[in-house]
Amino acid sequence: MSDSPHIAVCRSLLADGSVVAITATRRARGGRADIKCSAPGAPALAARMQEVARLARHTEARYDSRDQVVISMDRAPAPQERDWELAVVLADRAVRGLLPPQSLPALAVGWSDGWQRGRIDGHDAASVPPGAVRGGPQGLRYLGALSGQPDAGDAVSSARAWFPLHSGGINDSLCWVDVSVYPLDAADGAHAPDDDAIAAPGLDSARQHAVRQVLAGARHFDGDTAPRWRTTVRFGQDGLHGNSYELALVLADRLARGREFLPRGRIIASGASSAWHAGQVEAVEGLAPKCALIEREAAAGDRVLLPRAWEGELPPGLRDRLLARGASMACVERIGII
Amino acid sequence: MMFDLFKRMARAPAFDAAGLGTDVVARPIAAGCTLPAGASGVAVDAAGHTRRIGAGARVTLLDGESGWCFHPGPYGCELLPFAAAPELGLGLHFVIDSHDPRMTQQRFDLFLASEGAGDLALAGLAARIEETVQRELAQGHLALPPCTTLDEWNAFRAGLNQLLYTRFGVTVDDCVPVDLRGSRDFAQELRARAVHMADAPFLGLEPAVLPAAPAPAALPPSAPAAAKPLSERQFDAAIADARALRRLFLELPCLMCRVRQAALPSGQAQFRQQQDLLRRLDLVCLAASTMPALGLAAPGQPLAAGQQQRRARHSLQAAAALDEAWALLARFELAADQDLDILFDDADRIVANLEHALGERKLAVRKEEA
Repeated sequence: MSDSPHIAVCRSLLADGSVVAITATRRARGGRADIKCSAPGAPALAARMQEVARLARHTEARYDSRDQVVISMDRAPAPQERDWELAVVLADRAVRGLLPPQSLPALAVGWSDGWQRGRIDGHDAASVPPGAVRGGPQGLRYLGALSGQPDAGDAVSSARAWFPLHSGGINDSLCWVDVSVYPLDAADGAHAPDDDAIAAPGLDSARQHAVRQVLAGARHFDGDTAPRWRTTVRFGQDGLHGNSYELALVLADRLARGREFLPRGRIIASGASSAWHAGQVEAVEGLAPKCALIEREAAAGDRVLLPRAWEGELPPGLRDRLLARGASMACVERIGII
Repeated sequence: MMFDLFKRMARAPAFDAAGLGTDVVARPIAAGCTLPAGASGVAVDAAGHTRRIGAGARVTLLDGESGWCFHPGPYGCELLPFAAAPELGLGLHFVIDSHDPRMTQQRFDLFLASEGAGDLALAGLAARIEETVQRELAQGHLALPPCTTLDEWNAFRAGLNQLLYTRFGVTVDDCVPVDLRGSRDFAQELRARAVHMADAPFLGLEPAVLPAAPAPAALPPSAPAAAKPLSERQFDAAIADARALRRLFLELPCLMCRVRQAALPSGQAQFRQQQDLLRRLDLVCLAASTMPALGLAAPGQPLAAGQQQRRARHSLQAAAALDEAWALLARFELAADQDLDILFDDADRIVANLEHALGERKLAVRKEEA
């Protein structure tokens, strides 16, 4: 715990469009309350802040009574406003090192009636600047989804995996692919072929066809006989080139269908295959820049998966440096258990 | 003389061994019964001391002792390592050790003494093993990442074997990943969730998880838990509290003893840390064994039901910290020297949690905190 930050700031929007900064600090508890909150001139709001933070802590695996977290707002929102709740929860997690600093958004809006289940029900702000995290059905629905994990209480199972996107050095970034599955009705399944139930809105038809081929192959590898899922695939960025997203897509699909072990953090994968029906993983281009990007971006708990063909050419010491950060790496030649 | 003999034989109650070794791991046994073939006995006295009774013998119990009969197995069960991955499980096969004269007390005997209540069913034991494994995976102490490699699997197996032996006293024979699609259908579960969410959107808001929620009246202990789904959540404060405190009272001294042996410091600074931990654990032991009665605010003054619920919740928190302490002990027993710093930090956290929970349990009325 000693290496986690002692201060975390997350901003949120008020109803009048102004920005409120929520600051969380951490200190030794010394017999005091676990969470202390303050908002200028609004003691009732401070009590609500404390309740929100405490409820959201019920979804955490590790309980630590040694620290006190002090959360404050620099201005008080009106009593009926609730968009600040998500920012309070995220700041409380970031200051205790549960959320890696690079995953803490600068601005977050969202409220929930079920923080103890980690759900985010919606947000009220009409216009949100790009890059901000919006809670609710169109944005972040579940706290665990920040690291791509499916919500074990939702009727739609969705999971996310990340892949390195190489676009000329300075613009390299991690891009996510999100797979949501919902069970097909028996009537649909009887006459619909499997790949018709896979939708990828916003992609051109060639790319959609490729996505369907990959998922159909990977599900065949699992031994799926009849189509069971209505599937939606979304990508974090438009205009993808190449096929190195395939391994991440397949893993997100397996996570969403409940057929893959869960990492504690994100899955970061790069790899393609010409034979997904056999579960094979083959090499893709851009080893050096992608490894450099992964090394920059990986945080504690992340799982890095690369093709086995890359194993001999990896930068020396990459595995150890990732391990030192708390991430783990494996070179795989096929998907599935071991 | 003859009649006395017959009377005596007639008085010995028959022991029902149905299911023992298959569905039931251990069952209470009355004095005078003969242990069934293949099963062993454990006698537990009021202070938690245990002794084994050899297979096939007649159970003779001293004053204040209660008897248990258990079958060594082998048992098989299926676990779900991640709640969010319902189609991927672990097939676990385990046995319970036979008598080992070199050990003063085997862990399984302590498990029976402190946590045994009625029949110990295989399904119940499997659920507790699953809960323990899920917690360790969620905290990152065991690792089972996507596309597990053989080395990672072996490390997981070593940690799992040690964890289950240290926590439950069972020896893992075999553990393999299994595809659970044959037995459970994730698509059906998702459909059921959709129906459930449409019908009762706020079923998850249960009183037990809300801080400062008004306490529901405790149900009479005779009410069957399965009759009402709500009765599982509105737990019986008196029974839960008594069980948690019994566990703390019996297990903390054994845990301290094992920590002293396993957590060997490698240097002056760690030596001080270890001494400090043991000193604090001593005080925690003392606090657990001098805990005030649940229902009394002061001698002769009954405590409000809401405060009793709060006290019971803190007892349960302390018992949860105790579970984590056993898991930590398993990690200490496997640890290399360079990992000790992390383990001592975790030990510090767990002992702080124990101190905090027991301190709150001791308070009659919770003060407003600063």
